[in-house]
Amino acid sequence: MTATNEWTATNECEVLIIGSGAGGATTAAILAEAGHDVLIIEEGPWVDQGEVVPFSLEQMDRQYRSGGVTVALGIPSIAYTEGRCAGGGTEVNSGLYRRPPEQAIARWQRDYAIDDFDAGDLLSICEEVEEQLTVQTVPGEHTRASEILRDGAAALGWQHDESPRWMSYPEGGRAVDGQRQSMTRTYLPRAFAAGARMLTEHRLDRLVMSGGAATSAQLSATATGVDQPTTITFKSVFVCGGAIQTPAILQRAGLRHRVGRTLAVHPTVKLAARFDENVNTPDDVPVFQVKEFAPGISFGGSASHPGLVALSLTDNWREFGAAVTAWPELAIYYAAITSQGRGWVQAIPGVRDPIVTYRLTKRDRALLGQGLARLALLMLEAGADEVYPSFKHAPLVRNRADLAKMTAAFAATRASVMTVHLCSTAPMGENHKRTATNSFGKVHGASNVWVNDAALLPDAPGVNPQASVMAIAIRNARRFADERAG
Amino acid sequence: MTQQLATPDVTVITGAGGWLGTGLVAAFLSDDHEYQRAGRLRLLVRDPADAVTLNAASDRVEVVVGDISRADTALDLFRGLHDVDSVDVIHTAGIIHPNKMADFDAVNHQGTEHILRAAENAGIRRMVHVSSNSPFGTNADVTDTFGHDEPFHPYFGYGRSKMDAELRVHDAVDRGLNVVMVRPPWFYGPHQPARQTTFFTLVRTGRFPVLGGGNQRRSMVFIDNLIEGIVRAELTPTAPGLGWWIADERAYTVSEIVETVGCALTAEGYDVKANRLKLPNVVGDIAERVDAFFQRIDKYNQQFHVLGEMNKTIAVDISAAQRDLGYSPDVSLSDGMRRSIQWCREQGIEL
Amino acid sequence: MRAPSTLSTPMARFADALLSVDLPALPVAPRRQTVSFIDERVQTMPSVPRFGVKAIGVGVDVLSRLFGVDRVISLVTKLPIPLLAEYPRLIRSLAFAYIWETWPATQTDGAQ
Repeated sequence: MTATNEWTATNECEVLIIGSGAGGATTAAILAEAGHDVLIIEEGPWVDQGEVVPFSLEQMDRQYRSGGVTVALGIPSIAYTEGRCAGGGTEVNSGLYRRPPEQAIARWQRDYAIDDFDAGDLLSICEEVEEQLTVQTVPGEHTRASEILRDGAAALGWQHDESPRWMSYPEGGRAVDGQRQSMTRTYLPRAFAAGARMLTEHRLDRLVMSGGAATSAQLSATATGVDQPTTITFKSVFVCGGAIQTPAILQRAGLRHRVGRTLAVHPTVKLAARFDENVNTPDDVPVFQVKEFAPGISFGGSASHPGLVALSLTDNWREFGAAVTAWPELAIYYAAITSQGRGWVQAIPGVRDPIVTYRLTKRDRALLGQGLARLALLMLEAGADEVYPSFKHAPLVRNRADLAKMTAAFAATRASVMTVHLCSTAPMGENHKRTATNSFGKVHGASNVWVNDAALLPDAPGVNPQASVMAIAIRNARRFADERAG
Repeated sequence: MTQQLATPDVTVITGAGGWLGTGLVAAFLSDDHEYQRAGRLRLLVRDPADAVTLNAASDRVEVVVGDISRADTALDLFRGLHDVDSVDVIHTAGIIHPNKMADFDAVNHQGTEHILRAAENAGIRRMVHVSSNSPFGTNADVTDTFGHDEPFHPYFGYGRSKMDAELRVHDAVDRGLNVVMVRPPWFYGPHQPARQTTFFTLVRTGRFPVLGGGNQRRSMVFIDNLIEGIVRAELTPTAPGLGWWIADERAYTVSEIVETVGCALTAEGYDVKANRLKLPNVVGDIAERVDAFFQRIDKYNQQFHVLGEMNKTIAVDISAAQRDLGYSPDVSLSDGMRRSIQWCREQGIEL
Repeated sequence: MRAPSTLSTPMARFADALLSVDLPALPVAPRRQTVSFIDERVQTMPSVPRFGVKAIGVGVDVLSRLFGVDRVISLVTKLPIPLLAEYPRLIRSLAFAYIWETWPATQTDGAQ
């Protein structure tokens, strides 16, 4: 059984799951394997790995929400991306895998009063995930862009390591030979094998509530030519639309307590660096990350195909534009921070998409500048001839003295700030003042609505969050299944 | 730990009349200090009165009086030294709170360049340049700490001039001079200038401005720890061009500093009022803007500058100095403050 | 091959003008195709930002008719007004990403 985008069967299921990303797909597999009758609703299409070029505009058109043009308004605004397809963000992200940091687990458990939230248990779920997704480091040759990050960090004595990825490789495979083990290749087929059904290209318009319980879901088709609105009834519903859609769905259903008020992201600024050799591998993202200044600041590499190189130079095109024709010699790197500031997600009646805002504090803005400057220093130590920081009026950086010009000219309000990690809009835990759901994702104030995606994470963990999302989703789904077993 | 160099035949010290310079000279000349050394000391001072005191201290001392911003001062300082087997230089001369903005560049930047050039011509063995945290700015987060290699982000006029001095040091290294740098943050200890005394008085009277909760971290260095760091940087045969943070073991929060100083004053018999002056963080931001304004219009106001720094974190990591130089700061904040207070009392300074 | 824009929306007109200033050597056909791409992407933006972009677009269009598009481009790209400054930035980001992904050998001035 695979996914379909046409509704033919009966309009009911036992467990409805909204969204098929890292949270939704794992929930579906666990619950289906425990014998539940699961239906997954996915707004986007099913696109197989390999059908589109990774990080291309075509991928953004087909597998990202709004073609990738989504933004959290603020000063500065923060561009973000959401997956919108079967498998969600896991189909389009870098594939980097990081376990939830023990510090983050302890902090969440303590500050949000999460019951039965033990690092040991979560990390053993991570081991399962690692096996299922064949998480591993690159067996063979790294890309030059990857090695540059490692070499620069090593020259400075800055702590760095290779982040494993959920990819499979042929024997001794190089970094570029990795096959992404996304949800469409792992947990979704597992869910189908256990009897789960999936309806793609259908959007949840509304959860209908009655007496504190969700009774049905109203859907409409998103693919052209398929016009019928549909109603699905269910016993329980798991909302796994991601940190932006999940709070909007809950708000529209009247479930508002602490929903959409504490969006947490990893604000990120970038630079492009030019070397005297070809370093650009358009489809691959570097696997090394620098953790010397973690959790406050981390450095890594970004997708760098020519369109993205041009994009990174736009902030100061007049001075930097000439480098675009040398794009094979350029690679893009980022500095990401953990943010003190938070944002809002608010559904607006009658309007299709929620409004998203984010506020960076003074410390956040200063830390972005300090991070980008340290990254530029790393690039110089790695042998870069020229560094092009991505902010308006950025000077060309060729040596250490230029770093002073860069730090003097930096302002986060003039930088292209973005994020690809969004969390915390329906935080979990027993501390009702701070949480929207209980310790296992059950939404406060509803008897049969759960959240099981990145919205649950009480804050952004300071590392790539997919593993954290999956471990928590599996934990919560197992609890749901166990409570109903026997 | 590699074998240290022997102490040189001649040690040239600039800024010998200043706080750090005075401490270095006293240590080198003493009979029982850990860092005492034989050999001659060639000292540069700006004030002729200091020359008199220093000349009288020992017949191993030769004093040159001059303004370091003039190129001929450096020539005078190194006269006759290139026939000497081993000459080391410790360059402490600098200006932190000037009368006019132009002094920053003239003294800290041009002055350093003059010394570097003259040292090269004299064929000196090794030079230690005393830099600062100021070329690197402040830490954006209270938990952030400056490592041994950081990008420049100079803090106002002083920071720019000290950064320029570091760039001149790097140029000199490229030309073959064996020069290294130590970077001390906020330093304290005997022979401290009047502003440190003011600091003690404010704590004693409960009026030290603690901004925004006092969690911001500040690294400090007691003068004896700094002297140790300088001597180790001088005598450990490392590659040229390196720089090391020289500070106490760890940074302290501002609240901790105020409390420790309060306890030290009490232990030394002073009557200390509990600190009542807690101000919001924004006061520091405003003072910083006023400081910026004054510096832009070429007037320098010490109070606003110091207040503007008070809500900042400036924390440094000494592990490179520990590893490369065997630097091991012994004096704790509490002991260091007590010794400073004792010195003030011995000098008859009212706190 | 994407159909070139007919410059029927305010934003398309501004984008076309902005790109002809930024990339003077970019021939008309690829420029219009780029504008068509930008227009299409803006149509799929989320509700509130899309509304904002269109509103700014209308405002900028009116000013362009009154004062000439070159002057308005100059103003809009230099004034540090938060959301207004993001309008040309959005257009440039979409345009440059599209142009260099579609025609990677494009020169800095747009020459193909």
